[in-house]
Amino acid sequence: MKKRNFFQSSMFPLLARKKRGEFGFVWLFAIIAGGAILFLAIYGSVKFGETKKFQSDTEIAKTLAILTDPMQASFAEGSYGKISFREETRINNICFKEDFGKNDISISTKSGIVKEWGKSGGAISVHNKYIFSKEKNEGKDFYVFSKPFEFPYKVNDMIFLMSEDYCLLNPPEYISEEIIGLRIPNIKISNCSDSDTVVCFGKGNNCDIMVYGVCMTDCNSIYEEGTVEKKEGTMKYKGNLIYAAIFSEPNIYECNVERLLQRTGKIAELLSEKADLINARDCNTNLKPDLLIWKGLTENATSENIILLNQISKKLNRLNAGELCRLW
Amino acid sequence: MVRALSFLEKKHRTSRFMFFFFVEKKKFLASRKNYNSLAILKNNKAQMKIQQMAFMILAVFLFFILVGLFFLSIEFRGLRQKAMLLQEESAVSSLKVISDMAEINFDSSETLVLDEDKLRILLGDFGKYYETFWPVSSIKVYKIYPAGEIIKCPSLNCNYYEIYNSGQKNVKEYSTYVSICRKIKEFSYVYDKCEIGKLVVGVKTNE
Repeated sequence: MKKRNFFQSSMFPLLARKKRGEFGFVWLFAIIAGGAILFLAIYGSVKFGETKKFQSDTEIAKTLAILTDPMQASFAEGSYGKISFREETRINNICFKEDFGKNDISISTKSGIVKEWGKSGGAISVHNKYIFSKEKNEGKDFYVFSKPFEFPYKVNDMIFLMSEDYCLLNPPEYISEEIIGLRIPNIKISNCSDSDTVVCFGKGNNCDIMVYGVCMTDCNSIYEEGTVEKKEGTMKYKGNLIYAAIFSEPNIYECNVERLLQRTGKIAELLSEKADLINARDCNTNLKPDLLIWKGLTENATSENIILLNQISKKLNRLNAGELCRLW
Repeated sequence: MVRALSFLEKKHRTSRFMFFFFVEKKKFLASRKNYNSLAILKNNKAQMKIQQMAFMILAVFLFFILVGLFFLSIEFRGLRQKAMLLQEESAVSSLKVISDMAEINFDSSETLVLDEDKLRILLGDFGKYYETFWPVSSIKVYKIYPAGEIIKCPSLNCNYYEIYNSGQKNVKEYSTYVSICRKIKEFSYVYDKCEIGKLVVGVKTNE
C-alpha cells in the first residue's frame, strides 16, 4: 500500500487535492502580494529613514549658518567659538563666485552598519558670509575663528572653520599674541605633536604649510603681505587673509577672495555716491575719483593681484584720513 | 444552495475516496453529470478564494497606508514649527549682522549705528544689486523721534526707508533700536548728527 504524503492529510484538503508538483493560484497570488507588501514596507522604511536623515542634516546646516552670526568679529579685532557635535560630522563647504557669490553649507553624518559617510543634507546658501575652510571638514569639534577684511574700509568678516589641529612654528609676534589672546585650543605655538598640521613661517623642516612674508614698505611686520605654500597650491595674501590662506583649500580661498574683492568694488561705488551727498552738504571730500578707480581695479581682481592692490589701498586710506569729512 | 454545495462536496469527497480506494476511474467519469458539477464547484471556490484574497490584500494595504500616514503626520508635525523657529533665530541674529554691514553701517567702528547717506543711496538703483544678497525678506528703517506721520523716503522730511522688500506675503517682522547718523558741517565744524531709529527685518512665515 502506498503511503499518503503530508498534504494528503485532512489538515490541508485544498492542497491534498492537487496533483504532485501543481502550484495553486492562491499560493502564487499570496506570495506575489505578500512579497510586494514586504518590499513596499522595507522600501518605505528605508526611504523614510533617508528623509529623516536629510531633514536632520539640513536642520544642522541651517543652525550652523545661524551659529556663525554671533561668532563674526563685527567690530572686534577677532573672535573665536567652538561648535561640537555628538557624533562624527562632515561639513561640506562649496563656494560660488557669481554676483556677490555664496557659500553652500551642507552636512553629512555617518550612517549604516559600516558607518560610511551618507548623502549630505540640503545645502544652505549663505550670501553675506565668507567661510574659509576645506571643502570637506570632518570631526566632532569644529573651531570657528573670525577676523575682519579691510581693504581699506571694512568689507566684511571672514570666518575660518577648521577641525584639525595646527602648530605654528616661528610665527610673527602679532600672530602669536592673537592666538594666545583668543585662546584657540586647536592652534599651538609650540610643542607640536605628530598629528598637527605644521605651519612654518619663513623657514623650517617637515612643514606642511610654508608662509613667506614679502612686505617691505609701510608695514609693521614682513608677514603683512606674502604667500602661503601648500601641497595643493600657492596663495597670495594681505593682512588677515593670512589665516584664510593657512586654514582653507586654495579653490575655496580663491573663490572667497574674489567674492570679497567684488564686494569691495561695490562698496567703493556706494562710498563714491556718499561723497556726492556729503559734498552737497558743504562737507567736501575729494575721494570720489580715487574710489571709482578703486572700484574698477577690485571688481574683477583675483588673489594674484592682492599684493599690488594692497599698496593702492594703503594710499587710499591715507587720503581718507586726511579728509575733513571722512567717508569711512 | 448551501445544501446543494455540501451535497456536491460530499459526493465529490466520496468519489475521490472511492477513486483512491480502487474504484475504476472510467466508471466514475462516465457519469457526465458528476464531472460537470465537480468542475463548476472547483471554479466557484477558486473565484471565491481569489476575491477573498484580493479584499484581504486591499485591506492590509489600506491598513498599512493609514498607519504610515498617521506615523508620518506625527513625525513631521514639528517640521514646520522647527523651520519657523530657525527662520526666527536667523532673523534675530540678522538684525545685528545687517546693521553692522559696511553697506549701511555708519563708520565701521560702532555696532547698531546706521549711515543715513548710505540708506538714501540704497533706496535708488544701487539697491537693486543687493536684492539677492540680503539674508531676510524685508529691511526697513524708521526714524522714531520725533513721533509723527510716516513719510516714505525719498521725500522732504521723510522718516521711513524701505531698503529691501522681496514682495513676499506672510512676513513676520523683528526690530531693534538703532542710531541713524550723518556727517554735518556747521561753521567749519564737522560733527555726527544722530537720531534714534528702528531697524525692522522681516522673515517669511509658513502660517
